[in-house]
Amino acid sequence: MNDPILSLRGLRKSFGATEIIRGVDLELRPGERRALIGPNGAGKSTLFHLVSGNLAPTSGEVIFDGQRITGWAPQRINRLGLSRSFQITNIFPKLTVFENIRLALMRHHERQYTFWRVIDRLAGLRAATETLLEKVRLQAQAQTLAGEMSYSEQRSLELAMTLASDPKAILLDEPMAGMSSEETHYTMELIREVTAGRALLIVEHDMDVVFALADRISVLVYGEVIATGTPEQIRSHQGVREAYLGEEAAA
Amino acid sequence: MDWIIFSLLNGVIHGLLLFMVSAGLTLIFGMMGVLNFAHASFYMLGAYFAYTMQGIVGFAPAVVLATLLAGAVGAVVERWFLRRVHRYGHAHELLLTFGLSFIIAETIKLFFGNYPVDYRIPPALDTAAFVIGSQQYPVYRLLMGGVALAMFAAIYLLLTRTRVGIVVRSAIYKPRMVEALGHNVQLVFMGVFGVGAALAGLAGAIAGAFYTTNPNMALEVGVMVFVVVVVGGLGSLGGAMLASLLIGVLTSLAVGVDRSLADALALVGAGEWARSAGGLLTLKLSSLAASLPFALMLLVLLLRPSGLMGEKA
Amino acid sequence: MTMRTPLLPALAAVAVLGALPVLLPAGLLNASIQALIAALFACAYSLLAGRAGMLSFGHAAYFGVGAFATVHAMNALGGTGLLPTPLMPLVGALGGLGFGLIAGWFATQRSGTAFAMITLAIAELLHALAPQLKGWFGGESGISTMRMPAWCLSFGSTTQVYYLTLAWVLVSLALLYFHTRTPLGRLTLALRENEHRLRFLGYDVHGLGVSAFAVSSMFSGIAGGLQVLGNESANYVVFDAGVSATVVLNSYIGGVGSFLGPALGAALMSFFGYAVSDTTPSWLLYQGVLFVLVMMFMPEGLTGLVTATLRLLGRHGVMAVLPLALSAVVAGLLLAGGSVFLVEMLQRLCSQDYRSLARMSGTAPPVQLFGRAWSAAAVGTWIVPAGLLAAGALMAGVVQRCRRGLALAASPEVPERAAALSERALP
Repeated sequence: MNDPILSLRGLRKSFGATEIIRGVDLELRPGERRALIGPNGAGKSTLFHLVSGNLAPTSGEVIFDGQRITGWAPQRINRLGLSRSFQITNIFPKLTVFENIRLALMRHHERQYTFWRVIDRLAGLRAATETLLEKVRLQAQAQTLAGEMSYSEQRSLELAMTLASDPKAILLDEPMAGMSSEETHYTMELIREVTAGRALLIVEHDMDVVFALADRISVLVYGEVIATGTPEQIRSHQGVREAYLGEEAAA
Repeated sequence: MDWIIFSLLNGVIHGLLLFMVSAGLTLIFGMMGVLNFAHASFYMLGAYFAYTMQGIVGFAPAVVLATLLAGAVGAVVERWFLRRVHRYGHAHELLLTFGLSFIIAETIKLFFGNYPVDYRIPPALDTAAFVIGSQQYPVYRLLMGGVALAMFAAIYLLLTRTRVGIVVRSAIYKPRMVEALGHNVQLVFMGVFGVGAALAGLAGAIAGAFYTTNPNMALEVGVMVFVVVVVGGLGSLGGAMLASLLIGVLTSLAVGVDRSLADALALVGAGEWARSAGGLLTLKLSSLAASLPFALMLLVLLLRPSGLMGEKA
Repeated sequence: MTMRTPLLPALAAVAVLGALPVLLPAGLLNASIQALIAALFACAYSLLAGRAGMLSFGHAAYFGVGAFATVHAMNALGGTGLLPTPLMPLVGALGGLGFGLIAGWFATQRSGTAFAMITLAIAELLHALAPQLKGWFGGESGISTMRMPAWCLSFGSTTQVYYLTLAWVLVSLALLYFHTRTPLGRLTLALRENEHRLRFLGYDVHGLGVSAFAVSSMFSGIAGGLQVLGNESANYVVFDAGVSATVVLNSYIGGVGSFLGPALGAALMSFFGYAVSDTTPSWLLYQGVLFVLVMMFMPEGLTGLVTATLRLLGRHGVMAVLPLALSAVVAGLLLAGGSVFLVEMLQRLCSQDYRSLARMSGTAPPVQLFGRAWSAAAVGTWIVPAGLLAAGALMAGVVQRCRRGLALAASPEVPERAAALSERALP
């Protein structure tokens, strides 16, 4: 129980001569909710790409659930139990919302290679899809083409697809971007409910959400984690204030 | 021994010719993301244009005019056809160029008939340059290689040493940014497309006189050029050169080998078995020469999917 | 999106197809067999290109492998009772499936244009090797066979071959449609939509690509087997790039957006070719021009045009759409007439026969076209196509005006739709 479910050790990533991630160490305990904050351009999305297999690190290690997943393909990492959402909505725009969620659930129900049964007849899959649809409050949009929904509705869909595979650890990249305050509140409660017992790493700019949701917060500045601690510790941390407000604030 | 030098020279020159056609293709792909199926059609058009004008203005002016005409056709294709379907995506553009290549081939058959035409090297150039062993090496082959090398040098210098070159290279990486900086990116696209087509046309004008000029030229060269681009790496000029030479030399050397796999197996005593098994094992390498580039391509795909010098995916 | 084929029209269509041997003479019946095979081939191709979004330019390879597998099976097993004649296309299916699995494994390592190039190269490789491997492909002359009697039928008449082909095509189309409704079929669609996201949902994208390729190749192999059953021979020209090109052209002209679009496009082009190819050698040019026009102005293909027209009719009513439809038809006829005239004139003027005739007589003799003699030098000859094309261009302008008029007429609806949206947005 004390072993971290996700460890990043000395993770580095360079693009040519530019080093974006400059040695990140991070440990996530099972069931912990960690927020990752930092100024724009700090490398938060790049870090997610490195962990989820979208990019290969230049050096360093990623260990998930006891396995070295550094450099693994995304589908392999996902099957191990790590699921992520994307900052730029990454859904199936020309398919219906129902279809989007059903696609995300199919693998979890071990149905991806079924070529002998009509999909509409698979009752278990349909029920699970409807449940997830209701959870993110998209049931009215079930037959709408995903690309025709509003931005915040698409973000909800993105969240639903990430949760579909019943993962052990979830990486959320700005899930609430573009949502109204009521939607944000609802989604935050949804995230809290769904991630009970799972590890969560969430990138968010909305500080209310961060302080309300997170057990601990890590601050990423210029590709390095400069602080990790409880919300109170981070609020009063000198380095964090400098990073966000500039050196004059410290003076 | 002479045979090897002969074949090597032929292979290098054949490779250089392939490069002339594939250079434009890989540049256009690097910039616009679309593999222009009709690119080899410009090669064919160059040959036919030169053939038509050879009787009127003489060989050298015909070649120059053919190059310019092919380039003009390329610019027209880009401006009036490709640009219109750009918004439907890459697959659509590819299909459109496929249809255009089809139309160009059929139009040529309409005007010139479905058989080869008598496009020949002018007698002045139809002599031997030097002698290797007992064989004479024709001047024209050296000319072809020379033109290809000169063209490579010209492109390289143009891209790396001139202002136009910088704009083109930036437009390849970040067209929106270059546009925001005030450059007419549409014009650049049309220009690169036209120059690429002109190069293919030049290759056709020169090669068509030596090899046959017929309506199937585009397909034969086209498939080979695509193999070059896949093997060398999409978008890489250096890769295209390397792959072209590799394929040219490989094919050329293979054509001279009248042995089969069964003969090779005979060295380890399995010759009789191989000969009775038949099929692929008894095919002579010389007959297989045309298929070797495809085998090379499949091999590269297995071991290094992004091509010899392409970016790692 | 898949067009749900309503049951009643589908049954009616099947009934009509079933009655064709009674309605058509022998020559047209043969053409119908070819049209059915082309339709199946196009539908199988469209599974890969349209639904999975993987453009293959060498699909003749799988058609051809199926063909040769069938012809060998017919020679080896025909008449022994091990595999009766009607079941021979199964061998074609196996051949297509097997080769498709291997080729697909290679080809799907890359996507987009690189994938297309690989498929082309595989087909060209077969085309180059086939004449050399005389045992498998029969060299230049190919391999011939005979249909053996089975199930109390001799399979000697065209009618019996037609019904056999029809049965196989209908069953195959039904299976292909079934595939689109299965989980694997839905995933194939997702491949085209967002392959990247599929990886992060845990799917083996390469495996999915191979499966789509294999299913498409299997049904292409059935089509190849059916052709061999009909022709009683197989020849290496089946691997020709033209065969691959034709199925691409047919599918997109028909429209890959719907399930039956490619099949209808292929059937239409097949019949058109049969009707026209004897009268003009420029048939392929027309096919290419039609394809390019469709690509540029009707990206959804002919079936897309039909659904768009139906949509317009539903929204505006027949009276409003009528001027647009009429002017479009007239414009099309004028432009087509002018172009065909031009192409046919040029084709005759540039033909070898005409050239030698001209050289012998010293002047330009008149050309026979559409039952009249036209002089090549006369202005009148060239005014005809010029006039037709100009009139067609004018009509095209009229079409544009009509379309714009319809679009303007639609705009009063916009405020109503906006109100409906705001009602829905409340939680």
